[in-house]
Amino acid sequence: MSERMYKVQIPIYLTALLGILMIVEHFFPMPVVVTGFNTTIRSFVTVVSAAALMLGVCFLTISHVRTISQQKSQWYYSIFFIISLAITTGLGLMSVRNESFLWIYSNMTASIGAALYSLTAFYITSAAYRVFRARNWSAGVLLFTAFVVLMMLIPIGAIIFPPVVTIGEWLRSFPSSAGFRGMIMGTSLGVMGLTVRVFSGRQKEHLGLREERTGDQ
Amino acid sequence: MSAVKKLLNIDPRIIYALVFISLGFPILNPIMMPMAIQSYSQQAFEFSDNIPEGSIVLFEGGLGAATYPQGGPGMVVQIYHMLTKGVKIIFFSIGTEQNAWTMTAIETALAKLPAGTPAENGVDWVHLGYIAGQEAGVGSLVNDMRATLSADYFDTPLDDIPLLEGINDASEIEAILWWGGSEASIPYGIRQISEPFGIPITGMCTTNEVPNFSPYISSGQLTGLFGGVRGSAEYEYLLDLPGPALGQAMATNFGGLLWMIMVILGNVLYFIDKMGGES
Repeated sequence: MSERMYKVQIPIYLTALLGILMIVEHFFPMPVVVTGFNTTIRSFVTVVSAAALMLGVCFLTISHVRTISQQKSQWYYSIFFIISLAITTGLGLMSVRNESFLWIYSNMTASIGAALYSLTAFYITSAAYRVFRARNWSAGVLLFTAFVVLMMLIPIGAIIFPPVVTIGEWLRSFPSSAGFRGMIMGTSLGVMGLTVRVFSGRQKEHLGLREERTGDQ
Repeated sequence: MSAVKKLLNIDPRIIYALVFISLGFPILNPIMMPMAIQSYSQQAFEFSDNIPEGSIVLFEGGLGAATYPQGGPGMVVQIYHMLTKGVKIIFFSIGTEQNAWTMTAIETALAKLPAGTPAENGVDWVHLGYIAGQEAGVGSLVNDMRATLSADYFDTPLDDIPLLEGINDASEIEAILWWGGSEASIPYGIRQISEPFGIPITGMCTTNEVPNFSPYISSGQLTGLFGGVRGSAEYEYLLDLPGPALGQAMATNFGGLLWMIMVILGNVLYFIDKMGGES
């Protein structure tokens, strides 16, 4: 069997076969043997995903070790990464309910995560003051809509101007919902198209074969 | 440089300081003000309130360090609400970090429960822990729980958990409570559990994600939604269980008002500057 058969054709056939089985099961009643097989395959996903997570950690570590050994720009940050990874992994492997592990998580990771997320409030306000201008009609409509929706979202908004709730909920339930529905349907159609391309072997990026794309078409 | 130009080019640190004061002051000095309940929150509350006693619900805890401050208080109230109603809960998370935060919310809710409320681990609730594989992992869990994982968060084998006796898929589940935070994972619950098994679903997401899920609410696939800290505050208000979210909601009042004042001021100064330039 040729190398191409192993590396390209068999993975494509397997992807198409398993994918079609999953799709068909969703729409039609299938024999127990098929549903049972699909359930087993789905349970594999959790194992593969967990393994992928480990693989990701390994590659990230290799990348940082390489940065340190080659003393690339800001290589010293990589030392912090390696030390942090080693400590948290070591403690986590002992137990994720270990007091020291939880202390690191609660007092470092959680605080940094929450702080970074909350910084957006500062930047958004500063940016809005500088650039959110009613320069033309369309920008004016955007500004008006933003005001109505924000007034609806802040608890005191309905007390300051009661109709803002009705207008805001209408905006959210109809124009906004219609726009997002269109986006969801468009994305879904795109996914369907991509699925057909993957199943038929026209899209091979997931096999690491980007360079073959133009040659095959 | 004119005064208008100076104000237009104000040092951003002054704006940051104003934001800090407007958010920090109400949190440190909570003032309770009346609030209107949004229709999405009202629907989600009524949905939760109508879950019959003795039912089993599936609860996805998707809040992380960044999103727990806005959704956590509401999640705690939701757990409290279910346990005081005698509803049994099966928790799980599709994120490693979220897995730990779900446990934090459970512990906080348990500490708030009135004395005598049945809330025994393994009997009234169980935390299955982290499920890898995102949407495929969810599909696997609800179709064959024991093939997906062998033990819960506390390493107790699934077969030793009384609540899971005779349960291996989602067919025994009465409702889904999907506290997805900013995971954008509510559609996983709709596609993998709600639609195939015919189980109604509600949940929570961050404020900015509410419009993403409004089409699902309009179509009836999602029954209401608690959005961000406002949603959490509304849940606390509706259940008459005041907590941190009500204080934080007051901070959003001041923060939101400051944002509007700054934008109005910015526009007024812009037009004054523009008119000055034209004349």
